Amino acid sequence: MTEKVGRTAPRARDIIHLLLVLFITWLMLTSSLHWQEVTMGAFLSLVLALFLARSYGRLGLPPLSLIRVWRLGVYFLVLFAEIVKANIDVAYRVLHPRLPINPGIVVITTELSQDVAKVLLANSITLTPGTFTLDIQGDKLLIHWINVKSEDTAEATRLIAGRFEKHLKAVFA
Amino acid sequence: MRATVGLILLAVIGVGVGISLLAIPFGAPKTEIGDYYIENAREDTGATNVVTSVVVGYRAFDTLGEVTVLFVAALGLGAVLATAGGKRGRSGVEPASLILSAGNIFLFPLILLFGAYIFTHGHLTPGGGFQGGAVIASAFLLVYLSSPGKRINESGATLTESVSGLVFVAIGLLGLTYGTHYFLANFLPKGTLNTLFSAGIIPVIYCAIGLKVGSELAGVVDNLMEETE
Repeated sequence: MTEKVGRTAPRARDIIHLLLVLFITWLMLTSSLHWQEVTMGAFLSLVLALFLARSYGRLGLPPLSLIRVWRLGVYFLVLFAEIVKANIDVAYRVLHPRLPINPGIVVITTELSQDVAKVLLANSITLTPGTFTLDIQGDKLLIHWINVKSEDTAEATRLIAGRFEKHLKAVFA
Repeated sequence: MRATVGLILLAVIGVGVGISLLAIPFGAPKTEIGDYYIENAREDTGATNVVTSVVVGYRAFDTLGEVTVLFVAALGLGAVLATAGGKRGRSGVEPASLILSAGNIFLFPLILLFGAYIFTHGHLTPGGGFQGGAVIASAFLLVYLSSPGKRINESGATLTESVSGLVFVAIGLLGLTYGTHYFLANFLPKGTLNTLFSAGIIPVIYCAIGLKVGSELAGVVDNLMEETE
């Protein structure tokens, strides 16, 4: 991310993208289609989008489409299922009298290219109990793992990121 | 010995507190003003949230004082922390990781929208100008954490802060010219209960408070960050 922001005008595509994201968020917050709520939401989203679209454009998000939103929904379901599974696994390790853990830090690689996709993957790994993303360096993620099953990068990548990467690639394709 | 003295003292305190509490009937309201607010707040102010109708309706003048206290506190902090050499950028600080910087760009507009949601709905749902302002300031804190070299647009923050403070006072003065002629009297239509554009001047004041508190707290964060050099 560069510090100095060029004084160029924001692109129309970025404004519309941010406007839609904000407006949909507003509709979810208010859960109302009353004309007053919609008017206020449209106004606030427009003001924020006009002011913030330039930096938002640097994220390089893919265009909004229904299929993408659907795939994102599928991804969140997968994430939720993985979180439940990992919770049970960690609870088992905590309650087990011999505490079968083998903590350590492993490096995994990701094929995702966009920054937002990498951040989403990193946050998903952090949200899943037992694994924790420490940092992202290029295409490498540094993971703290409660039970290191493999120190090999390819194998660790398959075990930790494999669950999410396929669905994330579909979202950001 | 000490344990016995302690137990006796504890018993004395217990009996004392018990006797004084027995004199108060359990569950009975001690004042009538609370009942009045619950019964009449909606008709009087048009706000669904009774707490807001008290804070920005019945006791709006008190809130103006609170806003002033916050302003003086921010001013004092600025005076104490201001460095002699003027403001400098924070160089030599390591840039934040991708998770924080990319996450910040995506979340910043959403946090601002959430703050605005809280202060525009102060008369309908829990929350209001102070809470919304704090949410907005937290968005700026995130910016500082993710890009340590960045500085707040100080003239912009001061302008927002002054204009919203002026709006609050101007609304109060307009109340003097209308109907009952008292400071901060409601001069706007109350609208339909439980809709966004209702409760007269309350949402307008809460928007002003939200922007004022947001810019003030962002300035406070800015002042504190400067000292990390």
